[in-house]
Amino acid sequence: MIWIVMILTGLANFAVRFSMFSGLRASTLPDWAERYLRYVPTAVLSAIIATALFLDEAGDIQIWNTTVLAGLIAAIIAILTRSVIFTIITGLGVLWIIG
Amino acid sequence: MTSDNMREFLRGIGDQLPLQLGVVPFGLVFGVLGIASGLSPLQTILMSSIVFGGASQVVFAQLWATGASPLIVGSSVAVINLRHMLYSAAVAKYLRPLSLRWRIILGYLLTDEAFAISIKRFETTDRPELAHYHLLGSGLTLWVCWQIATVVGVLAGATIPDELNLGFAIPLTFMALVLPNLRRVSDIAAATSAALVALFGQVLPWNAWIVAAAVVGITVGGILSHLEDRA
Repeated sequence: MIWIVMILTGLANFAVRFSMFSGLRASTLPDWAERYLRYVPTAVLSAIIATALFLDEAGDIQIWNTTVLAGLIAAIIAILTRSVIFTIITGLGVLWIIG
Repeated sequence: MTSDNMREFLRGIGDQLPLQLGVVPFGLVFGVLGIASGLSPLQTILMSSIVFGGASQVVFAQLWATGASPLIVGSSVAVINLRHMLYSAAVAKYLRPLSLRWRIILGYLLTDEAFAISIKRFETTDRPELAHYHLLGSGLTLWVCWQIATVVGVLAGATIPDELNLGFAIPLTFMALVLPNLRRVSDIAAATSAALVALFGQVLPWNAWIVAAAVVGITVGGILSHLEDRA
C-alpha cells in the first residue's frame, strides 16, 4: 500500500512542477492564483513548526518547556542570520544543553 | 554537449553547491526520521527519488507513522507542493521551446533550491537558449546530494540515539526558511493563523490539521494581501 501512495504522491508532485510547461494548457497563472499560492510555504511550514514546538508527546499544547525555549532562541538566530545550518546548530545545541 | 553547454551546466552545479549546506543536513535527518517513523530502509531511500521534496517526505513519513489514511497523506503532501506551480509558471516561458524529454527531466528536478538558483540565471543570462543546462546542473546537484544524504541518514539512523532529538532539526530548518521572510502583515497573519489551526486542529478527525491549517493560512494571507495592495 505504501508504495502505491508514494508513487501517486510522486506523480502528483511531478504533475504540479511540470504543469506550466507541459504544453497541454495555458502556461500562465491567473493573478489571483499567484497571489494565494505565495502563501503556501508560509502557511504549511508554520503549521509544521508550531506542532513541533508546542505539542508534547501526548499531543497536548505546551506553551513553555525546553523545546519551546530552544525554538525561541533558534528563531532569533534564524531571523538574524537567515542560515539553516546556524539555526539547526543553535536549536539542537540549546536542547542538548538544557534538555 | 558542446563546450558552451558544458560551461552552463557546470555553472549550474557551482551555483547550487553552496545551498547544499542546508540541504544535506535535512536529507540526513529525513533518512534518520524515515526509519524512526517505521518505514523500511528501502522505502525511506526510494522516497527521496519518488516523492523528491523535503517537506513532502517529512510530512508523508510522519502522517504515515500515525496511521493516517492514504487520502490524507496524499492531500497533505499535495497542498504542500502547490507552491511548485509558481515555479513552474515562472520558468515556463524559458522551457516551453524544449523537447518533451528535456521538459520532463527539468520538471522532475524543479525543486525550491534549483528554482531559486536557476531563475536568477534565466533572467540575467545573455544566452537564454543555453539556460536550461544551468537548471539541469543545479537540479542534478541537488538531486545527487539529497539521495546521498538520505542513504547516509538511513545507515546512521540505527546508531543515533533518540535522546539527540535529531528530528528537531526539521522544524529548525523550516524556521530558517520562513521567519526571515515574514515582512508584511499578511505574511505574519498567514503564519500565525496556520500555526493556530494546526495546534487546535489536532482534534480534527483523520489528521486533517495540516490541510486545514494550509487552507486557512493561504486564505488569510491572500485576502490581507489584497487589502495591503489597495492601501
